[in-house]
Amino acid sequence: MSPRVPRDELRVLGLTALAVLAFPYLFAEAPVVSDVLNGYAGLATPILIWGIFVMGYDLLHGYTGLLSFGHAAFWGAGGMTVGALIHHAEFSFPLVAVALAVIVGILLAALIGYLSLRRGGIYFAILTLAFGQMIYYTMLGPAGQLTNGEDGLILDASSLFGVIPLDAGLPVLTPLGIIPSWLYAVTGVLTLVSVAVAYRILQSPYGLVFKAIRENEQRASFVGLNVWRYKLAAFVASGAFAGLAGGLHALQAGNASASPFYWIVSGDVVIMSILGGVGTLFGGFIGAGIYLYMDNVASSIGLIGDRWHLLLGVLFVVIVWLFPDGVWGGLRRLRSMVGSDDTTHTQTTDDGGND
Amino acid sequence: MPLLETENLVKRFGGVTATDDVSVSIESNERVSLIGPNGAGKSTLINLITRRLDPTEGEIRFNGESILGLKPHDVVQRGVSKSFQTASIFPQLPVIDNARIAALGAEHGAFRLNLLSRLDSYDEVDAVARETLQDVGLWAERETAAADLPYGDKRRLELGIALAAEPDLLLMDEPTAGMSPEETAATVELIENVKAERDLTFLLVEHDMEIVMNISDRIIVLDRGSVIAQGTPEEIRESERVQDAYLGGADR
Ligand SMILES: Nc1ncnc2c1ncn2[C@@H]1O[C@H](COP(=O)(O)OP(=O)(O)OP(=O)(O)O)[C@@H](O)[C@H]1O
Ligand SMILES: [Mg+2]
Repeated sequence: MSPRVPRDELRVLGLTALAVLAFPYLFAEAPVVSDVLNGYAGLATPILIWGIFVMGYDLLHGYTGLLSFGHAAFWGAGGMTVGALIHHAEFSFPLVAVALAVIVGILLAALIGYLSLRRGGIYFAILTLAFGQMIYYTMLGPAGQLTNGEDGLILDASSLFGVIPLDAGLPVLTPLGIIPSWLYAVTGVLTLVSVAVAYRILQSPYGLVFKAIRENEQRASFVGLNVWRYKLAAFVASGAFAGLAGGLHALQAGNASASPFYWIVSGDVVIMSILGGVGTLFGGFIGAGIYLYMDNVASSIGLIGDRWHLLLGVLFVVIVWLFPDGVWGGLRRLRSMVGSDDTTHTQTTDDGGND
Repeated sequence: MPLLETENLVKRFGGVTATDDVSVSIESNERVSLIGPNGAGKSTLINLITRRLDPTEGEIRFNGESILGLKPHDVVQRGVSKSFQTASIFPQLPVIDNARIAALGAEHGAFRLNLLSRLDSYDEVDAVARETLQDVGLWAERETAAADLPYGDKRRLELGIALAAEPDLLLMDEPTAGMSPEETAATVELIENVKAERDLTFLLVEHDMEIVMNISDRIIVLDRGSVIAQGTPEEIRESERVQDAYLGGADR
């Protein structure tokens, strides 16, 4: 009756794959664009990694309406899982370590979510922040043996299957450009998987229930939904993506320390999420891109330098002012203004036919 | 065995006794109205049944089983749903999604691990949502954001959300409050239709005596937290106690 992979999912995955393939080339090699962006290929990987983090966070914040200030904990825990396995246990399967980072993210999010979701609104936000900071100080002090504090663990054996170093070049020329490194290839594939999972969650009953909770939590429970459990599910899902991204980040940075547990990271995710667009899913990658570009590229332009935070702040205000639903939301609105016939078409297709 | 039964229900808010020793019951397929002056405790009684409030004393049984240990969402799962006194809808979502949420909640339980299955494969959810919106006359507006509906339509959607749960007992708290005469007439007609079509059992809170007299099999009169009378519309019309209570509080 219906195809195995529905059309909208094929489209989303196809476009994501294209974007992942074209991204490093556009950013670092393309004739004019790369000059304007002044980027370097090394930034392509972290942008995808942070993008995964922000996309997962959006399930919680954008779709379910729960503002967490504690997601550094899951990002940090993912990184520390990978770090401890490779550094202490001399584990030579980074991808397995990353899979374990996801599981650690899930378990920790289940615990912190269970405790924090007892309260709503600002109290929830503060509880997540408090738990996050408790974990940070634990990593810094009591668990210092494990984490080596702020200095962290060096991960030099980050190789694929114990053979190929992840940062080794993989200058494979695709029709769209080059794949800069093995790590980028791995990250790209995991980005695709993450987008597929997150998108599917939103197409599932959960997607609708999340929005129902965001829109009117009380009503959601008075139509028979166990709101509390769905909130926990959103929290755990976002923790899983954070764990995955944190694990990848440790591989990419070649270091796992207590610093990623610090609350600033939780704030960064919120900023990226708002820049890209709250409740837009894909906007997370744009938000991460803008933030990391400012941090790494703009900050090395003489005139801007250390003032990049200020510039980012100004940019933040301008974007929020112009596009309340972020850059992605702005683009979407632009598109529906230009090609409005396209959207009406997709809306009317589902009630014709099959009955 | 009655469908719903309350036994000596007492609810106190500090010094105020909102319901005082209320024992009422509703049989299957019975249409009951709950009337009484402002502050009589009507909404409180409804909120006790939906488990939004905990009673100070007393017992509530649905289908013979106590529901006092249940959460509000469990009560809906058992078959009791409620339409709110003010429209409590999902404002940013299209009307059809408002109905789908309600159908999903009732059909698929309070919580399911179906986060990787697509909602568009849940044909029965779509069918219930569609049928409900057709019943409440909002099918043509299904793509409109709920927030953009006119007031009367919002209240109809509110009723639709409660109906999409396909409840065994529907609780309606002043479904026509604040409506224009035309909207009120349309809503009453809607309730009449649904009542006939769906074999609905309901408990209706309503101030408009004409509506109450026409729509109910039985009327329960509440005053200052206590049941002062109950009976058929004719019996209530003739009861002096009811006349007195209403003369006291008939300033609307
Ligand atoms: N949450 C609350 N806290 C304190 N007092 C309350 C609360 N809810 C209701 N009351 C009081 O309980 C009494 C009954 O209120 P209730 O809302 O049940 O009346 P009602 O019959 O629904 O009135 P109306 O016709 O105005 O809707 C009133 O005196 C009211 O002030
Ligand atoms: Mg009331």
